[in-house]
Formats: sequence, C-alpha cells, structure tokens
Amino acid sequence: MSPATLVMKPSRKKAPIRLITLGCWSVSILFFLPIAWIIASALKPKGSVLDLPPKFIFIPTFENIIGAFKFSNTLQYFINSAIYSFVSVFLAIFVAFLAAYSFSRFKPAGTDFLMFLLLSTRFVPAAAFVIPFFQLFNLLQLKDSFLGLIIFYTMFSIPFSVWILKGFMDGVSTKFDETGLVYGASRWHIMFKVVLPQVRPGLVAAFIFNIIFVWNEFLFNFQLGGLKTYGIPVALFTSITKGGQVDWSFVASIGTLYVLPLAIVIFFFQKYLLVGLTFGTVRGEV
Amino acid sequence: MKEKLASFESKIAGKKVNLKQQEKRFSLLLLVPVLIFFALMNILPTIWMLGLSFYDYTLTSSKGATFVGGENFKAFLANQQLAQSVTRTFVFLLLAITAQTALGILIGVLFWRNDKMPGRRLALTLFFTPMVVTPIATALFWKLILDPTFGVANYFLESLGIAKTDFLTNSTLAFPTLIVVDTWMWTPFMALMTLAALGSVPKAELEAASIDRLSIRQQITTVIWPHAKFILMLGILLRSIDAFKTMDLTYIMTNGGPGDRTELIALSLYRFAFKSFKLGYSSAVSVFLLFVAIALTAIYLFVLNARKKMEA
Repeated sequence: MSPATLVMKPSRKKAPIRLITLGCWSVSILFFLPIAWIIASALKPKGSVLDLPPKFIFIPTFENIIGAFKFSNTLQYFINSAIYSFVSVFLAIFVAFLAAYSFSRFKPAGTDFLMFLLLSTRFVPAAAFVIPFFQLFNLLQLKDSFLGLIIFYTMFSIPFSVWILKGFMDGVSTKFDETGLVYGASRWHIMFKVVLPQVRPGLVAAFIFNIIFVWNEFLFNFQLGGLKTYGIPVALFTSITKGGQVDWSFVASIGTLYVLPLAIVIFFFQKYLLVGLTFGTVRGEV
Repeated sequence: MKEKLASFESKIAGKKVNLKQQEKRFSLLLLVPVLIFFALMNILPTIWMLGLSFYDYTLTSSKGATFVGGENFKAFLANQQLAQSVTRTFVFLLLAITAQTALGILIGVLFWRNDKMPGRRLALTLFFTPMVVTPIATALFWKLILDPTFGVANYFLESLGIAKTDFLTNSTLAFPTLIVVDTWMWTPFMALMTLAALGSVPKAELEAASIDRLSIRQQITTVIWPHAKFILMLGILLRSIDAFKTMDLTYIMTNGGPGDRTELIALSLYRFAFKSFKLGYSSAVSVFLLFVAIALTAIYLFVLNARKKMEA
C-alpha cells in the first residue's frame, strides 16, 4: 500500500460519515418541525398566534399554558388520563403476567388460538366495537363512570401485555422453574421471585407502551365517558369542535402539555420503542 | 420385595398423575382473570354485534328492534358509497404505505450506517415523536399549519410565489394531503422497523460478506434480505392494519370531505352508528371489518411463525 492511500483513507471515510450525520439530523429536525411549531404557538403571546406573516422570533411566555388550566376542566382531564393510564395498566399487567406465565410454561390446550384472538382484538377498528360497548355501558349504567372506563382500559391493555410478557418469558429457560421446584419452592415463589426479575424489561415495555396507548385513546373515552370522565384527547377534540372561533393558543397549549411527556418518554425508553410498537412481537436493538 | 416395589411404583405413578392434575388446575387458575375480562369485554360485545347485525334497529326511531335476517348485509353489499369507501381505504393504504416504506427504509439505512453519530438518541427522539402522537392531536396540529389564511405552510408557499390554497377543502388536494400527513406520522415507524430488520442480520455474516468483498448488491440479496425481510414485512402488515383503522385523523382534518373525497371505511362506520344511529346496519359493517381484522391477524402470525422457523 502506498503512503498516499494510507493518508487518503481516513479522510475519505470521514467525509461521507459527516454527510450522513448531517442527513440524519436534518431528517429528524424536519420531522419534528410541525410539533415544534405547535410548541412555539403555545409560547407566543396571546393574540399573536395567527399573526401574518407568522412570527418566528418572539419572547416566549407561559401565560397560555398557565391560562389553559384556568379554563373549564383542563386539569380534571389531565388527572383523568393519568388515572386511566396508571390504574388500568397496572391491573392489566398484573393479570397479564399470570396468564403469560401459564401460556409460556404450561401451554394449556388452545394457547395459540387464544393468543391469536387476543392479538386480533387490537387489530379491529375501534369504530366497529364502539356500538356494542356503548349499549353495554348504557345497560350496566357504567357510562361516564370511572369504574367503567378503568375496566375498559384494563381490557384494552391486556392483549398487548400478554403478548409482550409471554415473549419475554419464553426467553427465560424452564431450568429456573425446575431448579426452584426441586428445592421445594412454590409456583408463586418461582413466578414472582425467580421469573419476574428476569422479565423486567418486558414489564417496563408493557407499562410504558400501554400508558401511551391509554393516554392516546380517543373514541371510547369520547363515547363511553362524559364531562366528568373525559381525558386529554377528548379535551383536544372538543376544543376545536365546540363551535365559534377556535382558540388556537389554547389548543396549542394543551397540545404542548400533551406531547411533551411523550417526547420525554421516547428519549428515556427508546430501546423499548420497537417491542412496544409491534405489540411485543418483535424484539431487537435499534 | 417385588410386591413392595410394585406398590411403590404405583405410588409414584399416582403422585405423578396427581402432580400433573395439580399443575393443570394451577395453569387454568392463572388464566381465570384474563379469561373473565376477555369474555366480558370481547366475547360478549362480539356476540352482541353479531346478533345486532341481523336486526333492523335504529336508536332514534320509536319502533324496537325487528329481526330482518341478512337484510343488513345485503344492503351493505349493495351500498355503492360504502363500496367506494372500502376502495378508497385500500388506495389510501397502498399509497401511504408505499411512501412510508420507501422513505422509512432510506432513513433507516442512514441511521443504521451511522450508529455512533453525536446526539443520536436526541435525533431519534425528535424523529420518532410524530408516531406516538394521537391522531386527534396530529390532525389539530396540521389544521393549524395548513390553515388557508394564517397557516404557516401557506405563508411559505406564498413566498415561493404559489397562491394560497385550502388543502383540506380542495377536492383534488385533500386526499393527497391526508396521505402526506399520514406519511409524516408513520415514516418514523417504518424507519424503526428498518433499523430492527437490519439489526436482525447476524453481525458475523455481515463481516464475512465484507471480508469476501461482496458488492453492496450482493450483500443485500444474499446476506441482508433473507434476514431482514421478516421484520420489514411485519412492519408493513402492522401499518396496513393501522391504515385500515384510520378514523380519528380524517374525522378532524376533513371530516371525510370535501364531498366524500377522504371518507375512509372506519369513518363511514362511525357516522352510521353515531350520526344516523342505524345500529343494526352499522353492526353488519362492523362484522365485515372484524373478519378483515381476523384475516390480517392470521397473515401477521403466519409471517411471525415463518421468521421463528427460520431462526430455529
């Protein structure tokens, strides 16, 4: 190898990498721009959101965001969404953990079929199921009740939780269970003290993504809930459909408060994104 | 001695059976809570939906439900508008997913080639955020951006010398605009799947290929594609399923309009149920969508199992 190529090599390799880095960053910023624009709109002084030409440089203010909480039941909606997210997802993961252990270890007859049915429930358009639920909730007098919606969101979170936890449990050798049994441990002990610690990433992924799904759910909350039990997506929806002039500062403020937690979650739990968005069916590094 | 041994053996056998039974009982016990939820919240509504689809039942009319047999299904099949909605949904699905897959693969490869770039995590966070935003919020955000008078998109177009347009009420532009917004939302997902697909290629095989000095094309066809195709296909399938469900986005952005230019099947269904309250009829449409969902799930699991077999 001539000295010339030795000198050339690093610079030739570095240049395209820098270019790719530039490309990656440009793509990321381009995709984030619409969201950045909403955040900017929320931080603009009231009345200048719709300025023409649009203002790109301004002194940010928090008056809109603080003001959004004074308006109607904004705070209540955020609390509702948080309640559904945490209570339902916790319940769902608990019962899903038990079922996943059974599916993974004992493989009772019909396991594959049940897993199939569970997944298919998440693949049906929400509008198809909203009618029977609407009537069922009316009949059971569960409409606009926290109990009803918590039950609904628990059910909503179960299929994905079972899939994700079974996937992780299948990856834990049954030798652990056998060793435990030989030493006289009970099945409960094995489940919670031996297997559970090893599927912790699955639990985290199930937790995070079910919370996102529940936090984002609109149609059922809208149809089965009421003024007392609406969550944020419905708050966003009603903010634009209530008629008259749309208060874009308000919409942007709620939108910002809604989207920021999501961005933060993605930053910290990025490695779970894949398993989360494929309902636990695909795992791997990104 | 022999007798003793025999009795001992039978004792062990008995215990084994006992243990087996115990295990079986335990395994079912663990399933009880999920099964109760499933029966209550899935099987019951499904049966209800199936039953309702054979009745003429309109919430706003004073007469109760009357059994009409397969009339709802006949009416559904004869309904030209619904047939158009279904076709439109498939066109939407095909165009949007093609765009998302092409862009997603391109961007995915960029990020894959550059796994040590500075601030990769932050860049990916910015890039991935659109796909976890609920469609209601996405629709609202884009409504503000695309607004015909004060939207920032029109401001830029105007400064380029293009006349202001109302993208969402223009009959030729509304549908493409919807595809663009959907592509903005879901290209990150296809890029994520591309990253996962490329990540599923064993490193040893990649290294061997580069040592053997295979051309990039050879590397793709002989090493990368055989591994990567499964996850990529799963991604496309998941997107198809999701695109088929699209409702919130069109509901807010265009409400199916102008005319019925952006009316997708899930939105039609919603309108039948909650605007005209024809519950029997919309249940028939729901049953159809349920079958589509089950078929798509079966295909999805088929690919998933094919991948498992190949890895094993």
